[in-house]
Amino acid sequence: MDCGNGARARQHVFLLPEYLKDASKKMKSGLIFVKLVNPCSGEGTIYLFNMCQQQLFEIKVFKEKHHSWFINQSVQSGGLLHFATPMDPLFLLLHYLRKTGKEGKFQPLNQVVVDDMFPNCILLLKLPDLEKLLRHVTEEKEIDKKKYYKYSKEKTIKWLEKKVHQTVSALKINNINVSARVQANAFFSGDQVSSDKEEDYIRYAHGLISDYIPKELSDDLAKYLKLPETSASLPNPPSKKNSKMTAAQKALAKVDKSGMKSIDSFFATKN
Amino acid sequence: MESSDEVAVEKCRVHLRPGTLRDAACATLHLLPCEVQVNGPAPVERFFTPAIRQGPDGLEVSFRGRRLRGEEVVVPPGLVGYVTVMEEKGEVPVGKDFSERSSNEDEREEQELAEPPEALERDFDQFIGATASFRRFTLWGLETIPGPDAKVRGALTWPSLAAAIHAQVPED
Repeated sequence: MDCGNGARARQHVFLLPEYLKDASKKMKSGLIFVKLVNPCSGEGTIYLFNMCQQQLFEIKVFKEKHHSWFINQSVQSGGLLHFATPMDPLFLLLHYLRKTGKEGKFQPLNQVVVDDMFPNCILLLKLPDLEKLLRHVTEEKEIDKKKYYKYSKEKTIKWLEKKVHQTVSALKINNINVSARVQANAFFSGDQVSSDKEEDYIRYAHGLISDYIPKELSDDLAKYLKLPETSASLPNPPSKKNSKMTAAQKALAKVDKSGMKSIDSFFATKN
Repeated sequence: MESSDEVAVEKCRVHLRPGTLRDAACATLHLLPCEVQVNGPAPVERFFTPAIRQGPDGLEVSFRGRRLRGEEVVVPPGLVGYVTVMEEKGEVPVGKDFSERSSNEDEREEQELAEPPEALERDFDQFIGATASFRRFTLWGLETIPGPDAKVRGALTWPSLAAAIHAQVPED
């Protein structure tokens, strides 16, 4: 494919928080895309840093088969839609804290957040209120006015539990269907949300949070939340992309969005 | 194509030019239910736009002889849509451009004061700029308007959920 001339440059369609536009009045630079470690998979993932207001954003991409954009007088294949949403930097810091935590020593933060693969991780050390954040997941010591930190699993689990409950509230507010069961009256009364059990919400929220923590920690959190064991990995239901679905097929496709939910389900079918 | 972008950010940083977010003109976007395998100019205004009709339930148009039905989708509150393009290497930095264009002296001073002390830009870094902005786009489906359970609609609920997942939790 010929991509040589400027008119054929790849265009990216982004949704960005509105306040980045206002913030841009005060700076010439400071919005940076960098590759950092993904705290769940350990692989490289692109994040956006706002250096002026010291914020971290994650980038998620909506990608579905058979889509393209018309952008003014041009065509862009793929139909990708990129989302930049604020991210809690503690998920990324936790990746490094757990790694050095195995040594069981108190260490200064600049010896914890070290990464040959992703050297841009030092940007994390510039974030504001780091000390306050770290209190959620570490024990700390102060010697000669210098802070030393040690990973605490107990504190981390409690912090994650709060995250789960916070997410449950948002699921309820946004009316997201978390129920795994098909109930006939749901098709008629339209109030299937009220029939969702608290446990369904907790499992769904646990699934969302698990996309930001390693598997081991996710399992510990599930135990702590007393979530009953499910068949380990629910295979994603086959995607039904037929645009001529019957009402019943549509209803079933909706019900399929259930159980422990990965964030991927908001963006695309996994390839 | 995807991979060249990937390589770009492996070691270096890709700077989004903040000034371009302010200056981006409003663009018209359509999300089509088919894959067009090319990137490049297209006479959308000549063939597509004039054929759009307001039908009894939504917009109608045809593309390559197939009937499409669509509706306007608004970008979620608190967000703005942008179209961005990677600058080619060796291009004149847009950043210099617009600080010179700025006629307001106070604003320029403010910019310089707010500049972070350490140098963020490095020789091998790349730059990306917004070429257009949008608050809504037209979502098209084949024969029928994409329903409430369309994937793209689900994705648009993500920002409100992400806000809850990533909000700070109260300390004990």
